[in-house]
Amino acid sequence: MAALLAMETGDNTAGMVSRTAISMRDETALVARAQSGDTRAFEALYREHVDRVYGLCLRMTGNVGEAEDCAQEAFIQAWKKLARFRGDSAFGTWMHRIAVNAVLGRIRKSKREQDRIQAVAEMTTSPASIGDSGELRDLSDAIDRLPEGARHVFVLNAVYGYSHEESSDMLGIAVGTSKAQLHRARRLLAQQLKEQGFEA
Amino acid sequence: MNEQRDDRLTVAARQLATEIQPQRDLWPGIERAITEAPPRRSRWTPMFAQAAAIVLLVGASSGLTYLAVKDDGPVVISQPAPDYTFERTSFGGSHTLGNDYLDSRADVVARFEQQVERLSPAEREDVERSLEVIRGAIDDINAALLQDPDNTLLQDLLMKTYHEELNVMRKVGGVTQSVMSRRDI
Repeated sequence: MAALLAMETGDNTAGMVSRTAISMRDETALVARAQSGDTRAFEALYREHVDRVYGLCLRMTGNVGEAEDCAQEAFIQAWKKLARFRGDSAFGTWMHRIAVNAVLGRIRKSKREQDRIQAVAEMTTSPASIGDSGELRDLSDAIDRLPEGARHVFVLNAVYGYSHEESSDMLGIAVGTSKAQLHRARRLLAQQLKEQGFEA
Repeated sequence: MNEQRDDRLTVAARQLATEIQPQRDLWPGIERAITEAPPRRSRWTPMFAQAAAIVLLVGASSGLTYLAVKDDGPVVISQPAPDYTFERTSFGGSHTLGNDYLDSRADVVARFEQQVERLSPAEREDVERSLEVIRGAIDDINAALLQDPDNTLLQDLLMKTYHEELNVMRKVGGVTQSVMSRRDI
């Protein structure tokens, strides 16, 4: 844990993520073209945002197959709802909200959560750690083993930098519940990491 | 001690990758889904649209019934349905809605959009699905009316469908009867 925590502070803050591949102006133009039915423009938006949408889905589900399905569903839903996107928030934030809904909808409809927990517990390396290097994998694996509610709040709040107000709104829970789940997640994570021999 | 632990976890969590490349390209599946559906209006005959509209309305009504009877939502306001009336004559040959109606509807939409944000994702999804079905039906009926402008069954269906749309938004937005009573369609 000590080595894990010794890494430099990053910036995953949701509102501060800078996009370098396309400018905001280009993105606005792409959104407008996509809203008029241009699938090529929508593909460009997909290429720009898929890693972040898929990353969120993977961290929330902890399962590659489900994350792929949720990410696809999120973009399909985004296409259907594109006419209602008015640019009040960044397109990426809007996509994140749709992705969270896709994940929650899938979990609601599925009875496979217990199977997923079992499968994750049996894995030596969790699929969500694909994007992580070195000792961060331990934290990533520990997040995957969190109970669903605590995992969702921790991913949105601690990993993606959303506020309690934002994450509770996205998850459809009270702000107080979000705070309680974050506290629970931190406690369980510290416990797990300590058991693995890290200094918590 | 706990605060120190939480700070360390927060710092560590923010090092985790937020962007992860999928192992396969997801675009082909998305593209198939968004382009597969043929343009609705070009292939639908008026008769087919009539039948489909009826089916869609039944589906939408079922969704509305579900919403209406479900009482676990924190915001959905259940009020007695106002007995508002739509004037057939103002539908006219072009089947467009009057300016007064559109102004009133804008108020309804504004209130609806404020309130819908307060629903849980599940409830919001139910509402959006219902509206999607209803608006799809409106598009289909309008397309059929372009081909068969004097079809009274389609005109009735269109009025009922607009009525359903307003009903959904009213239920969510708690719109007052004074708005809904305007006879300006």
